[in-house]
Amino acid sequence: MKKFISYIISITAILVLMMFILDIIYTQIYSRSNPRNTFQYILKTKDIKYDIVFLGSSRVASHLDIKLFESLSNKNAMNFGVNGISLNDNLLQLKLLIDNNISISEIFLQIDAEFNYEDASIVMTTEAMPFLKNKIVKFHFKKYNEDFNYLYYLPFYRYLIYDPKIGFREAFFSFFNKNPKIDPKIGFVPKYGSDLSIPRVLPLTVSERNIILEEIIRICKKNDIELTLYLSPFCSKVENKEYLESLKNKIPSLLDLSEGYDDELFYNCGHLNLQGAQLFTENLYHATLNNELK
Amino acid sequence: MLFNSLDFAVFLPIVFLLYWFVFNKTKTQQNLLVVVSSYLFYSWWDWRFLFLIFFSTIVDYLVGLALSKEKKEKKRKNLLLISIFVNIGFLGFFKYFNFFLDSFIESFSFFGVEFQGSPLNIILPVGISFYTFQSLSYTIDVYRNKLEPTKDFISFTAFVSFFPQLVAGPIERATNLLPQFYKKRHFDYDKAVGGVHLIIWGLFKKIVIADSCAAYVNEIFSNYETMNSISLLLGGIYFSFQMYGDFSGYSDIAIGTSRLFGIDLKKNFNYPFFSQNIAEFWRKWHISLTSWLTEYVFTPLSIYFRDYGKLGLSIAIVINFTICGVWHGANWTYIVFGFLHGLLFIPLIIRNSSFKEYNISEQKKIPSLKEILNITITFTLVMLSLIIFRANNITEAVNYLKILFSFNFDGGFQLLLIRRYTPELIILIFSFVGLEWYSREKEHPFFGRWNNLKLITILMCLLLFGAFANSTEFIYFQF
Repeated sequence: MKKFISYIISITAILVLMMFILDIIYTQIYSRSNPRNTFQYILKTKDIKYDIVFLGSSRVASHLDIKLFESLSNKNAMNFGVNGISLNDNLLQLKLLIDNNISISEIFLQIDAEFNYEDASIVMTTEAMPFLKNKIVKFHFKKYNEDFNYLYYLPFYRYLIYDPKIGFREAFFSFFNKNPKIDPKIGFVPKYGSDLSIPRVLPLTVSERNIILEEIIRICKKNDIELTLYLSPFCSKVENKEYLESLKNKIPSLLDLSEGYDDELFYNCGHLNLQGAQLFTENLYHATLNNELK
Repeated sequence: MLFNSLDFAVFLPIVFLLYWFVFNKTKTQQNLLVVVSSYLFYSWWDWRFLFLIFFSTIVDYLVGLALSKEKKEKKRKNLLLISIFVNIGFLGFFKYFNFFLDSFIESFSFFGVEFQGSPLNIILPVGISFYTFQSLSYTIDVYRNKLEPTKDFISFTAFVSFFPQLVAGPIERATNLLPQFYKKRHFDYDKAVGGVHLIIWGLFKKIVIADSCAAYVNEIFSNYETMNSISLLLGGIYFSFQMYGDFSGYSDIAIGTSRLFGIDLKKNFNYPFFSQNIAEFWRKWHISLTSWLTEYVFTPLSIYFRDYGKLGLSIAIVINFTICGVWHGANWTYIVFGFLHGLLFIPLIIRNSSFKEYNISEQKKIPSLKEILNITITFTLVMLSLIIFRANNITEAVNYLKILFSFNFDGGFQLLLIRRYTPELIILIFSFVGLEWYSREKEHPFFGRWNNLKLITILMCLLLFGAFANSTEFIYFQF
């Protein structure tokens, strides 16, 4: 029995050692490689000045043609919108941008149904996992992720649990600095065509409050960043459109940019196609900065 | 409690240490711990169904005792019928009641007769098909005088509820498993290490092969209407490997875990994808169910139909495999799956080749062209039947097969909305097939000179390629 127990202990020790070594290898690969997603791009961007930063989900990533916006406004802007992320993730993005000494004059934050959610998205959680030792990331997840202790203290556990996006394949490509399909430096992910067959359903009611948004507002104030909250358009077939009215009542400062888009300008009910995005970029510019400039 | 869960990783060492260090004085102590831990293991899902296992155990134990005392054939037969009625009754009610009710209503409405009846809200107790068949084998064997009935209730309870194989087999025969509970078990280092190796190999098959395939399979089968033939073909291949990795992985973990407690379970899979015909496939796939059905269903049926020669044998085999299909669950897809496999035996019966052994020599590094052709044909037939098995209903299965055989290859390998990629999975499956081929005469690949290195490599592969993010329940839990 003694021999068997030593055998089990050695197998367990080898397994733990492998997890420990793999954790170091993967973390090093992700830390040293070229950015393959927006999160990595934010982490590796330092000491830059942005006049305007756009934050939000895919309804920012696909709606703001940043080159067009820069040419219209003559300002240095960046679109940090990411498909599937939440306000909680925007908060983390903001904290990282500030920590990296990135100077921002104004932030445009897109809000709609996200107002009802305070959790981090799986997308951003996954992208952030290799950087859990970063103090900002660490404290953010410690506060908002109930599995933090497992993720932080068990070696390689984070890579096992989120393996579809940060597993072997991604580590392999990162190691060889393979270019990603969507370049995070470009900051605009246009969509093509139009298919409104899948309905988009908004929540029935608006949450009482969103503490994440409150924290974003607080941080912006503290760092002298002007914050503009705005609402992007939905197609005419969106269900529970009353939600948007209730949201506007809840946030009186919410800039409504959702009107005036025909259905053919939509890729799907929640996302504009390239033509729609270019029109939206122009409209946003005229509705905000152009008025100011005049 | 899943074998691939953290709960089980805590449960198993605790029971192991208690078994060998605390409850190790007598076989009764050991068996008592087996019973308590097995009931705890089962109650992790739903403690209410412990009653069913316990009731089955008591009925079969008492029937066994009564059979030993009873000499009159008619009364013995009645006692056996009580056991069959209770076990099959539970199984029938929990598993098939709604299915038969629906089929009954549908068949009446087909003839224009409306029949009112609403299905019951029945939860299927996990593992019911496995433990009822296992328990039933005891009373049948006692009835046939192949086994002495036991007076040791604790040993019998341990036999029915032994946790490593309680919920998804292998379905053990009383003649093999029960006598092992009559003796005190002594720790055997080689057996225990072999058990650990099987557990690791089983986890590899489940987490690396089956769960990797599962993500693709779910995506393809959910969107089959929009996919081309090549994607649907891959869907069928992936599901075949998912089923195999999942169920044989479970069986390996169950057998390995049993060995840690000094108990030997029978092999349940023997590299079935290298089979050269359907008969050989079924001698190597879910062996414990096939051998159970052969002994208790096929053999009596073939005796009954013996006067009809090959026709009789064919009828017996088709009935046998249809029952095999029904055993899997209350859905026409399973019934058709079983029935088709029965039909696939008929050419072999006609050619007298259903019992022919095709073992490919261990010395052969690669199979001959004929062997490759036979293996490919057998795998293709199995894969096509598994598409029916996987589909939600017959209409879906037929539509899937229609698109598959439309030979539409436009678009090549289609992108799936999952963060996993076709070339990687194909490489993984080919590597797995190579590894299986290399170790086809052994239980697992951990043998020979580089034993420890192979073990470390598999552990590394588990970490690197395991699909932990979408870890799923074992497929056979639902049966």
